[in-house]
Amino acid sequence: MRVLLRLLAPVLGLALAAAGVLLAIEVIVGWTRPGEATGVLVPWPDWKSALEATTWADPAVLGTGFGIAVVGLLLVLLGLFARRSDITVIAPRADMTVTMSPRVLARLVGQRVRRSDDVASAAVTASKGRITVTATGWGDPDGEVGAALRSSVEGTVAALLDDVPLTRRPRVRVRLAELRGPR
Amino acid sequence: MTSEPTANTLDPGGDPPKRVPVDPALRRRSRAAVARSYVGDRVVAVVVGLLLIAAGVAVVLLSNGVFGVGRAARPVLDPMIVDWMTANPMAARLIAIASGIVLTVLGLVWAARAVRPEPHPDLPVEAGGDTEIVVLASAIGDAVAEQALGLPGVGKARARVVGTTRAPALRVTLWLADDSHVADVLEALQTRVLAPAKEALGLPALPVAVRLELDNPPPPPRVT
Repeated sequence: MRVLLRLLAPVLGLALAAAGVLLAIEVIVGWTRPGEATGVLVPWPDWKSALEATTWADPAVLGTGFGIAVVGLLLVLLGLFARRSDITVIAPRADMTVTMSPRVLARLVGQRVRRSDDVASAAVTASKGRITVTATGWGDPDGEVGAALRSSVEGTVAALLDDVPLTRRPRVRVRLAELRGPR
Repeated sequence: MTSEPTANTLDPGGDPPKRVPVDPALRRRSRAAVARSYVGDRVVAVVVGLLLIAAGVAVVLLSNGVFGVGRAARPVLDPMIVDWMTANPMAARLIAIASGIVLTVLGLVWAARAVRPEPHPDLPVEAGGDTEIVVLASAIGDAVAEQALGLPGVGKARARVVGTTRAPALRVTLWLADDSHVADVLEALQTRVLAPAKEALGLPALPVAVRLELDNPPPPPRVT
């Protein structure tokens, strides 16, 4: 979203400027050369007659109205969602701000969780409020082995969150999957 | 995030937290240094979007005859407006040209703001007499990054001066090694890199934003 906004901002700005230049040029040329039947760059006499022929009740006008509203809605959503999703870490001093991206936190958690011998593989997603770990181990996830694996993963993540002091401690959710076959 | 202007401590238990009052402006500057702000672009996008929604909804309502069936049956380019324009050609032209110029200026300003690179201010150092000494932003950044690279647990480091000459701030990106302890690295950064840098530059305050990344681990050994 932020990248899209970065790309869109100069493009929209230039489009606006181009429209302004066209408007000014057409008016000035139409003023200085009154006999001219067509515009310099845009065929505004054709547009004028077309607009005079269509009424507001025309389906094309209705469609254009919907189109404009939808584009506006997309712009509003883009502006609202182009925010940073940084996770803040408690800093040693108040004039210091420490942040990491959710991806980095997920990688940190993943590294720790995969260190355990009981975990075959792990997938982690992280956000400000929640860390979800999907750990694959051997044995029945709903049985005793699964319970042990779950508590060990939860303990690992809790220990990591003690090491990396986040300003808001996320909730941890552990999901288990079973890897069939020899260990 | 608390808005309390006091220092956080890393120690979760044990001693009660030390309460060191800190200027809220410094907190704000350090938070602003985290990344380049897109607030301006976002506000413009939302405002333009709301205007477009309002215009679109107005057109749809008008088209459906909400403002009267007779209103909806009139042409889009209303004869009333055309008549007024033929009656007052000068005023119509001037209004059109002025709005064209306003659109051009607004569009160019917006585009220029969007593509302008983020400023990295050079900082003046106290010198006696007529001498003026300026430390280049790149020099400060390189020096801080090099110092930070020497800290245990840091695999790669980058530093940039951001903000303005009057209110500078430092943005430090640390790529942490696998086994590093975040709290220890931050403490070492503060005492061994940032405090000396502040003193060397003669700055009363230098807010810092630290971005943590993970260093790419060396490829695992190939065992056959």
